Amino acid sequence: MERNLEKTMDNVTNVEGVIGCILADRQGLCLGAKGSASGQSAGLIAAIADEVAKLEPESNAPIIALESDNRQCIIQRQGPIVGAIYKAISP
Amino acid sequence: MNVFQELKKFLYQLLNSVDGLHSILITDRDGVPVISVSDEKAPELAMRASFLSTFGMATDQGSKLDLGKNKTIISIYSSYQVVQMNKLPLVVSFIANNICDTGHILSLESKIDPILQNLKNVVAEA
Repeated sequence: MERNLEKTMDNVTNVEGVIGCILADRQGLCLGAKGSASGQSAGLIAAIADEVAKLEPESNAPIIALESDNRQCIIQRQGPIVGAIYKAISP
Repeated sequence: MNVFQELKKFLYQLLNSVDGLHSILITDRDGVPVISVSDEKAPELAMRASFLSTFGMATDQGSKLDLGKNKTIISIYSSYQVVQMNKLPLVVSFIANNICDTGHILSLESKIDPILQNLKNVVAEA
């Protein structure tokens, strides 16, 4: 059942620079996590996507990028699913 | 500020950090509240011991499914959701509206765990 989901996540994590990805449903429950992403983050990621979307309710779903010294986390909601991609930042 | 007030303040911070969360209750397995915080939208009936105590029975039955010890029960109703965590001898219950982010509520477990140890001692002594 989740073969397509697994395949999509594999495709994402195989891209150069990507170190992990996570998918969450409308309730913030984890649908899948690959690489360095933790399933525990699903709820927070969905909450961040929902809160940020409230800033511009008339616009399309925003893309949110959180950046630390060595990693970047990019979050976007696509319909009922929230996806987050973790990327390594080379110095 | 005494320990009890500090705990309440901490729980209020957690309550406000999740959009749509109306109440956090820490009870013993009979549903008797040890400490609780709630806003004005929290449903009164769901905060009673008679409702909260049903978790004790449900978690015991759930643990018989050969899936290991039951940790959490999520009940989603048409207008509210209740997330209850098995931290026996304590039970942590979260009452939220039905569209609240369930995963976000579950992520509060790691934040609430450290304060439970002290409360467990209180219940064990009583």
